[in-house]
Amino acid sequence: MTRTALTRRHLLGAAAATGLAGALPRSPRAAVPDVVLCNWGGDAVPAFTQAFVGPYEKATGGKLIIDPSGPSNGKVRAMVEAHHVTWDLCDSGVSGIGELGPRGLLEPIDYSIVDKSKILPAFGYEFGVVNYMFSSVLAWDTKVVTTRPSPADFFDLKKFPGKRMIRKDSQAMLELALIADGVPMDKLYPLDVDRALRKIGAIKSEILFWDTGAQSQTLLRSGEVSMGWLWNTRANLLKRDTKGRIDWSFAGGLLQPGLWTVPKGNPAGKQAMVAIAAMQAPAGQIDLLRAMGNGPANPAAAPPGDLTDIDPGSPANLAVQAKIDAAWYQAHGSEALKAFLDVISS
Amino acid sequence: MGGGGRASFLLLVAPALLLTLAFYFVPLAQVLWISVTEPNPGLENYALLATSASIGRMLLTTARICVATTMVTLLLGYCVAFALTRATPSLRRVMMIGVLLPLWVSVLVRSFAWMTLLRREGLINDALLASGLIQQPLALIWNELGVVIGMVHIMLPYAILPMAVQMRQIDPALTAAARGMGASGFGAFYRVFLPLSLPGLLGAGVLVFIFSLGFYVTPVLLGGGRTLMIAEYISIQIVEVLRWGTGTMLATTLILAIFALLAMLSRAIDLRGLFGAK
Repeated sequence: MTRTALTRRHLLGAAAATGLAGALPRSPRAAVPDVVLCNWGGDAVPAFTQAFVGPYEKATGGKLIIDPSGPSNGKVRAMVEAHHVTWDLCDSGVSGIGELGPRGLLEPIDYSIVDKSKILPAFGYEFGVVNYMFSSVLAWDTKVVTTRPSPADFFDLKKFPGKRMIRKDSQAMLELALIADGVPMDKLYPLDVDRALRKIGAIKSEILFWDTGAQSQTLLRSGEVSMGWLWNTRANLLKRDTKGRIDWSFAGGLLQPGLWTVPKGNPAGKQAMVAIAAMQAPAGQIDLLRAMGNGPANPAAAPPGDLTDIDPGSPANLAVQAKIDAAWYQAHGSEALKAFLDVISS
Repeated sequence: MGGGGRASFLLLVAPALLLTLAFYFVPLAQVLWISVTEPNPGLENYALLATSASIGRMLLTTARICVATTMVTLLLGYCVAFALTRATPSLRRVMMIGVLLPLWVSVLVRSFAWMTLLRREGLINDALLASGLIQQPLALIWNELGVVIGMVHIMLPYAILPMAVQMRQIDPALTAAARGMGASGFGAFYRVFLPLSLPGLLGAGVLVFIFSLGFYVTPVLLGGGRTLMIAEYISIQIVEVLRWGTGTMLATTLILAIFALLAMLSRAIDLRGLFGAK
């Protein structure tokens, strides 16, 4: 890529981010490389298309293509090491930057194009920048759990009988266990992994572990479990589908960022950063909240009243949740996962 | 076979052979290579087999589930195979459809079907509770029992078919002769038919055990998350935490174990006959 091309894109990106792209002379379409965005498929494909593809194409004249094949860490590593990268943007997260970043498999986020003032400062990292917010929350079956449970009630099998459900992953589950055990939400990190695992280990024969979001919905909906920790997006769908039989709350939850990452040597180069900048516009992020329950990353996004209740990043919901610390995961993530799997499978 | 025949035979085999080399053995060699080079050159990944408590436990879980699956599958499969050989040709055709039909249903769908049947408020527990036979729902799923049930169901055709083929090669006159010489029905079966059918039983057993080792979807879906077997463990190493050295080491170990089992099997019985190559 030539130096001049880079400068022009850079300018376009800044223009797109400020909503001025229409005022600049439009470059011929072919000059803007296509950007391929890899996400996890399912409902996220139409939702991302509506929220991001149209606005990006209008703002930059480029093309944004969604590949729903799932940008797992292993696939990104294989692609980068084979020098055959086909993705420009990945819908990744804290474990993505934690495992891939230190191995040199990601491009650093270019904050001269991506606007740091349009995110919460805590969620702009070297190798990833927040694209939406989600939370790990407590949900319960009101047939069994007849009063609003506290975080500690999750481990009280006498007060609320029935099996429990947590994600088969250490991330967020360790935090929620510590919160239930009485650790103040602002003093979670560095995580006391042993304490969290003792807490979970004590009732593990009563816990079912979910792998996919769909599984977490099934287990609660079918009455297999009476309480569970799952994503706010799924909890929200469950409440709607069961007409309130399954209820949930952000209280004592953990706020986590979904992150855009850019694989090292991505085909569209800096245009990936331009696309990230374009997707920082509030309107698309509110569309995504409406469609999926993923919270806007841009604090300036003001969702209409009926959506603020389900917005993980709204000030009221932010106040009752802990925030994840990505730096801790970078240093301890894979060890914590191993210890977690050891405890649940022994 | 003459010289010309052999050349044309090689020509016919060559495309498949080249494809296998390029798309199977080359990547396999890479897997082996990564297992001895990452993160450092040497056998440190293989040392984990002896030193890592989590890997040891996972291997034990895998072995326990595979042995249980193989035993139950052989027991049930032997009965079906025996019935198949004794059935009239028209009944045998119907039975064969019953055996083969599940093969065309995806493992995923079958796992979900088992969930519907086995879960706490599932059909079986509901029926048992309603009939008053039990007071509390049975823990039929989300544990190793659920995994074994699901795996046995998937493995049954692979046990029945080779056993049935082998049993049909046993001359029915032999058991008839045993009866004629005064053996009871069970005696004739136990002392004549069973020993003759052992090669099929053994072959099916090794086949089922080898297939069981690689199970991924069924333990993940029916094990409630606590049943960690080798395939899922490898996947976590490769896909999530990027410890490719550990993941490829386990994959290589798995392949070596399978080759060892096949080698043992081939010493005991005629593999070509069992798999219908003769």
